[in-house]
Amino acid sequence: MAGMKAPSTALLRAFSPLWRPQALPWTARGCVLQQQQAAPFSSTQRMEKKGRGAKTDMRITLIRYHLQHPLTPRPLRFSRTRALRHWTIHRAWRLYQRKLAEKRTLELERQYNSMAEACEALRLIDSNGLNAQDRERLGVPEPEMTGAKSDKDTGRLYRIAMRKDGIFNGAPIEYAKIQTETPSKDGWNHGWTK
Amino acid sequence: MAFEMRARPLAKCIKCTSHRSLTLPIRSFTSAARLALDVDTGATETQAPPPSTPKKRDPNTVTTAHGERQLLRNQRLMPIGSRRRRAAMQQSGLPFSELPYQCFQEAREYLREDRAEKLEAIRIERERIEKLKQAKVSETEQSRKEIRLQSMQRQLEELKILADINDPLVKKTFEDGKGDMNKPIYRYLADRKWRSYKRRVLIQRITQMNVVPDVLPSIEPVVSTSLSFAGRKVAHGEFVDSLISAQAPKLNIQCYDKGKRLVTIAVINPDVPDVSKDGFGYRCHFLACNIEISPTDTQVNLSKLVEDKQVVLPWLPAYAQKGLPYQRMSVVILNQSGPGETETRPIDVTTIQASDKKRDGFILRSFVNRMKLTPVGVDLFRTKWDDGTAEVMQNAGIPGWDVEFRAKRIEPLPYQRKDGERYR
Repeated sequence: MAGMKAPSTALLRAFSPLWRPQALPWTARGCVLQQQQAAPFSSTQRMEKKGRGAKTDMRITLIRYHLQHPLTPRPLRFSRTRALRHWTIHRAWRLYQRKLAEKRTLELERQYNSMAEACEALRLIDSNGLNAQDRERLGVPEPEMTGAKSDKDTGRLYRIAMRKDGIFNGAPIEYAKIQTETPSKDGWNHGWTK
Repeated sequence: MAFEMRARPLAKCIKCTSHRSLTLPIRSFTSAARLALDVDTGATETQAPPPSTPKKRDPNTVTTAHGERQLLRNQRLMPIGSRRRRAAMQQSGLPFSELPYQCFQEAREYLREDRAEKLEAIRIERERIEKLKQAKVSETEQSRKEIRLQSMQRQLEELKILADINDPLVKKTFEDGKGDMNKPIYRYLADRKWRSYKRRVLIQRITQMNVVPDVLPSIEPVVSTSLSFAGRKVAHGEFVDSLISAQAPKLNIQCYDKGKRLVTIAVINPDVPDVSKDGFGYRCHFLACNIEISPTDTQVNLSKLVEDKQVVLPWLPAYAQKGLPYQRMSVVILNQSGPGETETRPIDVTTIQASDKKRDGFILRSFVNRMKLTPVGVDLFRTKWDDGTAEVMQNAGIPGWDVEFRAKRIEPLPYQRKDGERYR
């Protein structure tokens, strides 16, 4: 008995599906480590069933399947300094992108404000193209004193251009036309004499 | 020349440092490496030293087969890593920030410019703060000025962090655990790290184990704590053997904002059985005031505090009598400042009322209100009856070590058994 050799497991190893080498692929090593519970608390419930032992969570099974799949590319592994270099470049790139975005946002804001100011100026001018300050500066009488339809004339074209009625039934043709003072609204004045 | 300085170590090995002294013909990769190494480094392997005084070799830098053999034979050490790595170790006198990678260097340049901008912004912000401090305002404007100053100060702190957050060397130092907690950037990084996981675990434990409504109405921890009994760290809420918790623990209180402050530490057990009212009460196991902590000064040994200036109630061993469920021992860190105050004030221990010095029935809520304290940190461990509890209680002179609590037997309600026909 003493000289008897242990039977070889070579055949078993080659053919039996039950005989698995203990060396796991590196992707699964973390899983094995995690399964041994060392901490006094656990964050996940263990799915244990009576009589059949612990059952592995389906999510873990799937993660393992995909991580160990031969088509899965190997993960990015960097040395310490290389990871730091990568991080530095990444941070610089993010900073650059952020500054760029900020610059663009500011530019858009500036343009928007400029448009708003232009609209405000258009809203305030009368049919002569003057606003209140201009009239005061040039000594032009206020429209209230000259004619009755003063309020209507101030910013008339702007108001027309800003009208939004009827846009759901196809945009009105006026929207495609720049509003102008000429030709006159009243047509030709045939009765005009010098 | 600059590139030559920054050349990769192995390339340096192969190519020789200066071409003027080039004597060897350039050969193919593997064979040249060893030869050139011998020429370049020289010192690693020349002639075999006399056997009486074997030369000391560094397992990190030995690069030749001969040197490796000698290392193994004389010093019984294996060389570390690959031969290529060891060659690199031998030569790399290059600091991390000068590594010769174009993209890396340009990124560093960009980050340096950004840092200069931030430093300029810091300077301007400081000037503004000074100017505002000097400014004279009327009584009604005073509160607005205070608020403005506070927000400017906050802005300044933010800028200080932004100036350094992109520095790879700061990141490296922090990851090595060598960060200087006097500097705002390391405090910020440590705080972020704590909040990312450990603080969440702490919050979970104190809410699941109901420390929060039982001991104090609410706690928003801003300092991290870790308990250690006899040199062993204890996770938040872990069971601690009563023999171990008979001695006062050490407490590590890490705060993340600058400056020194005075804190009060209270250890409260909210699970003391009260037979007369058939419920549970409180007991204070430890109470000490005027403990100074700062971001760099974090260790507090609860057994080595000054008797008449700090300790109000010395450490009482944690125990739970037989038959009782486990008992929570909550450690609460209280800042000695009221809700709106920034500076902490000392508490005169001798003037603390006798009603606050009794252990049983110590209500932390009213203590906090009376002394005007702010809870800033919390920790927790649990205790239950085990083999050592009786001994610990006897040693500490606590009565009741031979008492066993029994759950009250609840008689089942009488119910009429229906005939067996129904159960088929």
